[in-house]
Amino acid sequence: MILLQLRNELWKLFGKKRTYLGFVMFLLAQAVILLVFRFSPASRQMGRLLENNGYDMTQFLSPLTAATFTNFWLAVILLPLFGALVGGDLVAKEAEDGTLRLILARPISRLRLLALKWVAGAIFSMLLCLALGVTGLLFGQTCFPWGGLFYFFPGEAFAVFEPREGLIRFAGAHVFMSIAATSVMGLSFLFGCFNVKPAAATILALSLVFLSFIMMNIPWFNDLKPWFLTYHLNLWQQLYGEPIQWGRIGESLFILIGINATFFAGGVAVFSVRDIKS
Amino acid sequence: MITLQKLTKIFGGRTAVDSLDLSVPKGAIFGLLGHNGAGKSTTIGMLLGQVWPTSGSVVVCGHDVTRDRHSALQRVGAIFETPIFYEYLSGRRNLEILATYTAPTSAARIAEVAEWVGLAGREDSKVRTYSHGMRARLALAQALLPGPELLILDEPTNGLDPEGIHEMRETIRRLHRELGLTILLSSHLLSEVEQLCSRIAVIHGGRKVFDGPLSETRANPSRVRLRVDRFDLATSTLLAEGWITAAEPPDTVFLASGRTVGRVVRRLVELGIEVEGITREEATLESFYLELVKTARLQQPAAGGRPPALPPVQKP
Repeated sequence: MILLQLRNELWKLFGKKRTYLGFVMFLLAQAVILLVFRFSPASRQMGRLLENNGYDMTQFLSPLTAATFTNFWLAVILLPLFGALVGGDLVAKEAEDGTLRLILARPISRLRLLALKWVAGAIFSMLLCLALGVTGLLFGQTCFPWGGLFYFFPGEAFAVFEPREGLIRFAGAHVFMSIAATSVMGLSFLFGCFNVKPAAATILALSLVFLSFIMMNIPWFNDLKPWFLTYHLNLWQQLYGEPIQWGRIGESLFILIGINATFFAGGVAVFSVRDIKS
Repeated sequence: MITLQKLTKIFGGRTAVDSLDLSVPKGAIFGLLGHNGAGKSTTIGMLLGQVWPTSGSVVVCGHDVTRDRHSALQRVGAIFETPIFYEYLSGRRNLEILATYTAPTSAARIAEVAEWVGLAGREDSKVRTYSHGMRARLALAQALLPGPELLILDEPTNGLDPEGIHEMRETIRRLHRELGLTILLSSHLLSEVEQLCSRIAVIHGGRKVFDGPLSETRANPSRVRLRVDRFDLATSTLLAEGWITAAEPPDTVFLASGRTVGRVVRRLVELGIEVEGITREEATLESFYLELVKTARLQQPAAGGRPPALPPVQKP
């Protein structure tokens, strides 16, 4: 029964065109970034950087490097946007459209309904990250030959990995990325449980994420970084570190699980006492 | 089938439903009548566990909705004023989705209900291509899927054309006749209620101002239309002699208890007053309703706030 009800939520979610907005935008963005990277001095500069550090650029200018390069900012900026968009829709859009009243004329409990919707949102977030990784690699494959992974973040990270290890790290990063996307979806979901428009839930969630991002990047707040949500949302970046700081990943993972549980519990508390009217 | 006791809902400072007592017997088509904003939809929201009562109890199919909503709604179907569905999905998929919130439903059952409501052949089309009438049928189909004993209809003919209204009315009669459903029909359309319901409750300002069989609303045995050559003389004499209790110029009188039209005519003839016509006036639901509402308004305070207690008319 619960699986049938989850299937319903997925039918509803993936039956809507706007659900695919994230997938389409990622495809377009990846294509644009990759084309600019391939046919501008950027790829040559990256090659020089590799060679200046003693690496063969032909080994590391690869689909893995290109996909990591393109997906980095998409994951930081666009992924929260599409996670929040779907999270805000899950409850608030149904309330706005009036279909929520139709559902709640049935004997399903509000807790179960919210749990089903949250799981559907989490599945969406995971699929979005999976698609981001796979399409990134496919696009990269059209421009570069297969090779190792080069990860560079000015002032913070410089790492090269053999193709096999690079692929494992790339896949792992996208798994943790999906946890981050689910968390933003969960924040937007929480706001959607209030009596607000779906757009308001999305904007509120994004505002908090961006505020956290801004504050985290203010140099004076460096000591406070672990208190910001985006610090933990970025746990996937740790997969490209050498060595991997598993302690830091575990801490962020633990905190994100707690935050997600809190968002969900808050949503349930608000939604359970709400009057659903036309 | 439905029992409401002292049911009250206050939104902010506004009392939407005020101490409502109501009982809908099994097998009835019960009309909940009231103007827009009278509290009908809030009452239905509380029946379905969508709106939480401020106080009082709601029992549906023998179960308290606030304590055991799951059991209470197992055999309940509901239709709301505007049939809204997942436009981007087919009618069949909408039915599958909505049915599963009650219980797993077989494809055969969905096909059977689609056939019953007249959707067969169109159930695989997207809902966005449906006419308003087809949406109303789909709304009916989703309400019938759980095999309900109780059907709650909140303004079911809203937005339908005259043909659609007629069709919906016939369907409601058919549901009652063929499936033996108990039906609670909420409406502000007097004609709809008059044609379908055997018993009604009238809500005004969140309070029940009448509850009884529809026949009681039509009966008005004392009101008589009297056309005579000298109305003032005739009524003053009849009043003085106790034949009537009141008179409303130019042509209405209210017979005293035990007095008949025939004997009043005989007395008028004895007095030498020419009687041009006399007819017992049968009240329509409209006149009855308007009278109720008028009385209720007169008892409300002039500057807003909660209306004072209006004794409900309870008929057996």
